[in-house]
Amino acid sequence: MNLKSLIAVLIIVILSLNSCKKDDPIIEEPVELITTLTYTLTSSDGGSVVVLSFQDLDGDGGNAPVITDGVLNANTTYTGVLMLSNEQASPAEDITEEISEEDEEHQFFFQSTVAGLNISYTDQDSDGNPLGLTTALTTTDAGSGTINIVLRHEPAKSADGVSGGDITNAGGETDIEVTFNVDVQ
Amino acid sequence: MYNKLIVNVLFLLLPILSIAQDCTFRLNGQVLDSGTGLPLEFVNLQLTETLAGTTTDSTGHFEFQDLCHGDYHLVLSHIGCQSQKIFVHLHSDTSLSLTLDHTVNDLHYIEVTGKSATSSTLRLETISEQDITDNAHENLSNMLESIVGVSTLKNGSGISKPVVHGLYGNRLTILNNGIAQSGQQWGNDHSPEIDPLVANKIKVIKGTSALEYVGGNLGSIVMIEPKKIIREPHLHGRVGYFFESNGLGNGLNVQMQKYAPSVAWKINGTLKKSGDKKTPNYFLNNTGSQEANFALQLEKSFNDHFSYDLYASTFNTELGVLRGSHISNTTNLEEALSRDVPFYTEETFSYQIDAPKQKVNHHLLKLHSKYFLDEEQWIDITLAGQLNDRKEFDIRRGGRTDTPALSLLQTSIFAELKYQRELELWKIKSGIQYNNTNNSNTPGTGILPLVPDYLSNEIGTFFILSRVRNKSLFDIGLRYNFILQDVATISRTLPREIIRYENIFHNVNSSLGYTYTFSKNQALTANVGFGMRNPAINELYSSGLHQGVSSIEEGDVNLKTEEAIKGILEYKSKLSSKISFEALFFYQRINDYIFLNPQDEIRLTIRGAFPVFKYEQTNAEIYGLDFASRIAFSKSLFTDLKYSFIRGNDLSNSLPLVNIPANNLSANLVYQLDKTININNKQLENFEFEINGQYVFEQANLLPEQDFVAVPNAYTLLGMKLSSDLQLKRVRLRLIAKVDNLLNTTYRDYLNRQRYFADDLGINASFTINVKF
Repeated sequence: MNLKSLIAVLIIVILSLNSCKKDDPIIEEPVELITTLTYTLTSSDGGSVVVLSFQDLDGDGGNAPVITDGVLNANTTYTGVLMLSNEQASPAEDITEEISEEDEEHQFFFQSTVAGLNISYTDQDSDGNPLGLTTALTTTDAGSGTINIVLRHEPAKSADGVSGGDITNAGGETDIEVTFNVDVQ
Repeated sequence: MYNKLIVNVLFLLLPILSIAQDCTFRLNGQVLDSGTGLPLEFVNLQLTETLAGTTTDSTGHFEFQDLCHGDYHLVLSHIGCQSQKIFVHLHSDTSLSLTLDHTVNDLHYIEVTGKSATSSTLRLETISEQDITDNAHENLSNMLESIVGVSTLKNGSGISKPVVHGLYGNRLTILNNGIAQSGQQWGNDHSPEIDPLVANKIKVIKGTSALEYVGGNLGSIVMIEPKKIIREPHLHGRVGYFFESNGLGNGLNVQMQKYAPSVAWKINGTLKKSGDKKTPNYFLNNTGSQEANFALQLEKSFNDHFSYDLYASTFNTELGVLRGSHISNTTNLEEALSRDVPFYTEETFSYQIDAPKQKVNHHLLKLHSKYFLDEEQWIDITLAGQLNDRKEFDIRRGGRTDTPALSLLQTSIFAELKYQRELELWKIKSGIQYNNTNNSNTPGTGILPLVPDYLSNEIGTFFILSRVRNKSLFDIGLRYNFILQDVATISRTLPREIIRYENIFHNVNSSLGYTYTFSKNQALTANVGFGMRNPAINELYSSGLHQGVSSIEEGDVNLKTEEAIKGILEYKSKLSSKISFEALFFYQRINDYIFLNPQDEIRLTIRGAFPVFKYEQTNAEIYGLDFASRIAFSKSLFTDLKYSFIRGNDLSNSLPLVNIPANNLSANLVYQLDKTININNKQLENFEFEINGQYVFEQANLLPEQDFVAVPNAYTLLGMKLSSDLQLKRVRLRLIAKVDNLLNTTYRDYLNRQRYFADDLGINASFTINVKF
């Protein structure tokens, strides 16, 4: 092979590659996305249902999330049920199911700044540790403040205080962290 | 680790007279120091075929007698030099004139190799083959740290990238065998995918005039270069093994080569594995890594005018990321920052690598041919292809941990035609290059990609002229690049749609350099360069959550091209036979410097609140000083002192620049024994003992609000090294024992992102054995 033929090969190689248009990318369906959290509180006397919800349909970025706060009765016990879903998928995907299937790897944590408002676990994972998909919420005096709900993936469930609902030593990744304003009247 | 003398052997075969009888031949000669021209005493010489050995006398002379007709290998070794093997075909009495580039008083990183030193004003610093193989347990970036002015940006001990004069990533070009490394350079936690053990030489060009290479560089270049195959008709090679105590790391490197008549070949393979690293107090869970690399080099000459060579390499790695550094929002980050010991710290050591981790494969194929038009003109034609496959795994829900969270495939094709002409005083180099990069997100991650798919076509051309005049050397260079990008991004709002961008950039680079050699012991170099770098894809279009740093990063499609001017002034001097030093000042001004600026906005998502960072532009300056000196106390005792100072400022906002290396000071004391030590009739040669220390200052040039936590304190690290050579019958051994962080000091380094979560590495003892045959 001489120099001329080498240069010819070079030019052919370049010309054969001169596409300037990138193909359309495949738009990924975000599989782990959670768009919506609802915390449904039903009073023990069956009298009232309060729904706290956080909805961010387009995921991170884009439009701001829609948060629905709530009003609770004083000196009342509520049954709390958490529901998670991905409403970007159609039909909407129930994430609650996924969490209960991997219950040992997950735990919800609840914190409130309202005096006397207490949230306790009423469910357990397969190892007998709390999970938090269902809870009991009790109120005492009237007041206002926030309820903060955190879902941790792979927390250290056996760490000090974690089974009692204290997040300090839990670690793990945060899958959810939402805060609602509540009034207790 | 500091005996980085470049051995430069030039030899001349002078057949004196021919005798017809066998086994009466003589082989003699003289060994001179190429630096001083003086004879070198105590050079050990051995013929591997007969095992006959001798040492040069005070006049540098040696002689072997009663040799038979045939092929011989002569091994030369001298303290502070890399051992050298020379092939001699003996058919008559032969006299050799050999020079070893060895002077105790020379700075190891000053490369003075005759022709090339006087043909360019580039400021070049080199890591030799011996330093590479002595430090086989280190990755590329950590090896480069031994050069003053070079630092590493790390994410734990396994993931690191070089920082030269404050620039890294998109702003620093890395050349693997002359080909610009094509991969995901933008990521601060993406190491260059190169096995340093394939290289016989690693160079850092600190100047501005490296215009013949492709890349958006604004100055510095890192070059990894495998040597040409030695013109030797026999099979030769090297087997290296290392063990290190921290992480219980093991590694094997095999290199073999032969200059066969049909085709010359060389192969190089590396296997490495290490487990969890350890700080002085605890294991760093999931910080193991493994690597398997292979390279093939072929060379063929058709005649004196025409030669071909081929280089193929594959690099494959799996790197664990500290489990406790994987955090998901600011609350998590605050918790992690407040801990003494990271979350998920285990009591026991493990080799297991789980998510979060990175799996990277990089393959390179290069074809090069050289055609001499006449004695002073030649043409180089190069064709190269690269494939970079990067997969990053996170902890994910629903059994998706085994599905990569980021999966990027990049292919690139490079073609180059280069013309060079060398006259007595003039040298011309010119060329044209084409580069095509195709970057795709591999579908199936279930996550919207952080960087978009794109296709980039680039054509570049350059012209460099240099001229020698008396004691001066002058060079001038110009480069122009045309870049056409087609980018396909995905919208962040619903419904998702594809938004396309077509970008055209024109980049111009130029440089002017001047070197004046006052005498053999003194030289001054000035170099000024102008460079342009178009915004990188991640700076323009990245969008989304950067898990590693728990922040939302947003690109800006309106970013402009960066423009930079860098000036370098270097003075090298040998004050006496005992003291030499070099000082390099640099100043770089970058207009429209692209950086991540924290915004006032805190974005609320279902996973909590995240700070938002946007790519913005400002005018910036980076300046500094690299100082290195060597003081020889006696023939066998010397010390190296190095200091590097660097500062970066955002001029428009009157703020310091982030991620600028802290200033540091290092010193060592080396004792070299120039006589051999006899143990059981075996001779230990080139015995060397070194104590070294490094002091890293606190990064004082940073405001508290520019970081999540206070910058780490200053720290001091001590180390030691013991090395020696042993010539056996057919092979030559080199043994190296090293201890790093000897005092098991607890520290954190500003440029290591893992500092937010954990301490840096504790004591590490390593042992390396190299067998040359």
